Amino acid sequence: MPTTSHIDIRNVGKRYGGVVALNDVSLGITAGEFHAIVGENGAGKSTLMKIIAGVISDYEGELRLRGESVRFAGTRDAEAVGISIIHQELNLVEELSAAANIFLGREKRNAFGLLDDRAMQQDARKLFEQLECDIPPAGPVRDLRVGDQQLVEIAKALSLQSEILIMDEPTSALTETEVERLFRVIERLKASGVTILYISHKLDEVFRMSDRVTVLRDGQLVTTTDTSETSPREVTHLMVGREIEEVDLGHERSPGDSVLAVENLSLPWTGHARQWRLQDINFQLRRGEVLGIAGLMGAGRTELLECLFGTSPEKPNGRIVLDGETVRFSHPADACRAGIAFVTEDRKRLGLFAEMSVRENITLCTLDEVSSMGLIGATTERRAAVESVELLGVKTDGVEAPVMSLSGGNQQKCVIARWLRTQPKVLLLDDPTRGIDVGAKAEIYKVVDQLCRDGMGIIVTSSELPELMTLCDRILVLCEGRQTGEFSREDFSEQSIMEAATMRE
Amino acid sequence: MPLLNRETRPAGHFLRSFGNEIGLLVAVLVVVGITTYFSDSYRMKPSQNAKEILRQTALLGIFALGAGTVIISGGIDLSSGSVIAFSATICTSIILLLSPLVDNSPDTYDVSLWILLAAFAGTLLAAFLIGSFHAWLITSIGLPPFVATLASLVGLRSLARLLIEDVTRVAYDKQTGSSQIYIGDEFYHQLGSVWWIPVVIFLLLSFLLWLLLSKSVYGRHLYAMGGNEEAARLSGIRTERLKWLAYCIGSVTAAIAGILYSSEISMAEPANNGMGYELSAIAAAVVGGCGLSGGIGSIGGIMLGAVFLRVVIDAVAKIFKQKPDILEGLVVGGLVVLAVAFNELRGTGGLRKQFFPGALGILNVLILTLLAGVITAVTSTTDKLRYGIIAAVVTLLLLGAAAIRERINASRGTIPRQ
Repeated sequence: MPTTSHIDIRNVGKRYGGVVALNDVSLGITAGEFHAIVGENGAGKSTLMKIIAGVISDYEGELRLRGESVRFAGTRDAEAVGISIIHQELNLVEELSAAANIFLGREKRNAFGLLDDRAMQQDARKLFEQLECDIPPAGPVRDLRVGDQQLVEIAKALSLQSEILIMDEPTSALTETEVERLFRVIERLKASGVTILYISHKLDEVFRMSDRVTVLRDGQLVTTTDTSETSPREVTHLMVGREIEEVDLGHERSPGDSVLAVENLSLPWTGHARQWRLQDINFQLRRGEVLGIAGLMGAGRTELLECLFGTSPEKPNGRIVLDGETVRFSHPADACRAGIAFVTEDRKRLGLFAEMSVRENITLCTLDEVSSMGLIGATTERRAAVESVELLGVKTDGVEAPVMSLSGGNQQKCVIARWLRTQPKVLLLDDPTRGIDVGAKAEIYKVVDQLCRDGMGIIVTSSELPELMTLCDRILVLCEGRQTGEFSREDFSEQSIMEAATMRE
Repeated sequence: MPLLNRETRPAGHFLRSFGNEIGLLVAVLVVVGITTYFSDSYRMKPSQNAKEILRQTALLGIFALGAGTVIISGGIDLSSGSVIAFSATICTSIILLLSPLVDNSPDTYDVSLWILLAAFAGTLLAAFLIGSFHAWLITSIGLPPFVATLASLVGLRSLARLLIEDVTRVAYDKQTGSSQIYIGDEFYHQLGSVWWIPVVIFLLLSFLLWLLLSKSVYGRHLYAMGGNEEAARLSGIRTERLKWLAYCIGSVTAAIAGILYSSEISMAEPANNGMGYELSAIAAAVVGGCGLSGGIGSIGGIMLGAVFLRVVIDAVAKIFKQKPDILEGLVVGGLVVLAVAFNELRGTGGLRKQFFPGALGILNVLILTLLAGVITAVTSTTDKLRYGIIAAVVTLLLLGAAAIRERINASRGTIPRQ
């Protein structure tokens, strides 16, 4: 146990509505150490860091800095005592120059009180020299590649000359050489006594750099240990090691012939260091089969489904064969007509119509069936909605109830019901159980199982491995846009899937 | 299972669906009641006043329906005032150019029916083109609706003024053109001035748009797009076609209003026709319950919003004995702020927030004081200075007390600071 804790995190917790993001976490950070925080998506890593950096100010528990209890009302408070954070998402004003972004909110001024652009650009250039990169300080951030934008973000944090620097997946958009440069900077910072808190999915980075590592799982602290006393294998196990849900599915399914085939599918990524969102994906989906797509955040799961539905940000290369015919969709309407249904990841933003009733949400895609001469038949529409509600067991106070009065799981069932009414051949489910409670999850699993038995081809992604292992007949693993593994049900193991998902070139 | 009670709808369903409409109806009745109490005119000539209000409501309502449809679809159409002026110009221009020459100048005192019909058809076609142009700018070029229709707001009026110069120059075969066209035909004049004609057109349009919005597939899709455009697109809805429909409804309804307004005064004068009417239309829609973020609103609400707006304008005019058109801007401006503020507050925790925080808050206590004083003074008929000062002092005391109370509560921590 270290004697001098720089930061003491005591019984810290945070809820979002009913969801517990962080539960009773206690942790001491020693001055000058490189402390890695690891865990799966949704484990609470970013939430914890945001609390330390003052981004989140309403939480349970206590934060102590050098023995004194502190509570930051905002990032300014945290910066004032020497804590700064490099966010996972880029927080830059794209229209402003790199230098202006670095000094945003604490701009340098000249004798007349006007902005001193030259001084800021000089300082920015010095910071970039430290980072061994030659980003033009006066050019707008918009014109920079994503990797360079991340470096601007890092330069911004360095310019604060903090004693404690929090890095939330700083390498997610960087190339190998950029990562190496960043690590050299981190070494120098460490040598000058800066405490570093480092979040990463990439265990090789963690084991290369860190003194200690903390594992979080489902908002709880699993362990904190000296990095030298553990192994990547053990940490992986600690990250995912939870009970698999007790739902017995997937036995005696008998997949039929191929309904969807993807050949050499690639999705370009203009302006990004990686060039490809997806590269050379090949797979087949059969009728009556559930195919899972596993991968960490940014692996390309959603992008793959978007390619299949014709809504990808850029046009994909390669071939998509649906029911024996090569297809190329330019609008979701085409995909719908061809028999593909897509339940999107972000339910509130991309799936639900918040102002509408349960009935209107369910029948929206299939209004033609319940209308004649363009006018909707109230009775037939109602009957269709009731039928779907009963089929999926949506718990609602009638089909006229506002959809927002339902629980998250039942809202999700409404979205699924909407798509099932189109009688699709292929159903794409993008993280269908995100943010819904355990009971509703199990019900959605049963729905998926039943649809599969009825002969539908289903592709499902999830950020939770146990979920995929429960639901799927096969799992395809993506890592940074590449296909790094494929497992059949009998070969499923969290360990091997996780290893494939973190496999780097 | 409650679900299976198909015939019995959940309690409060009626109130939830029509609460806004019922509230507006009550508000209209209250305003009319107050006006009747204070104004001799309502008591002496009730039917004349009623007809005038209905006619004015119908004229406003016709293009408010269009503005409201666009708002429900998630957009905004700022161009209606200029489309009114442009349409009046197009309509009268066609009549003028087609009318037979008598003594080398067109005779507009007895226009044959086919000419009128051709003029109406031409005007509506022009409006369809304007709406299609807006839809193209928004969906294909990617302009924000605000910008696309704002460009039309300033551009179309200019274009109409240029057009009318040339049309009059050619029609009358003179060296210089005129800035207005006069149509002497009596039947044409009656269209907008006989009270029931605009009312019937308004009711007919309302019915058609109600059918479209509340009963048809397109209407459901319009609401869906207004509520969540990306989700609608991902549900396979062709959002670009729906926008085309919505902006055409916006401009065609404005064109119908433009024809009626020009008929009312027997002329077109694009420099002044329909000036600032776009905001009245948006006000009627918003007061009628259309949310500016889209997806919410109803034809019934927009109709009642138009009625309410006209009734209030008329009430203020009658009670303070001012010309309605002078007061209109003030009433519309005030009602829009109140209606939108009301909607915002209902969504975000209501009155439990600080209204006058910081220096900006104190400055606005003074601004509201000044406004109250000035508005009271200019609307008073006698003793302007005295009434103005009284109103200002009362406002200052009330708002000042509110601001001080807020500061005390904030320091106690009962109101969240901003």
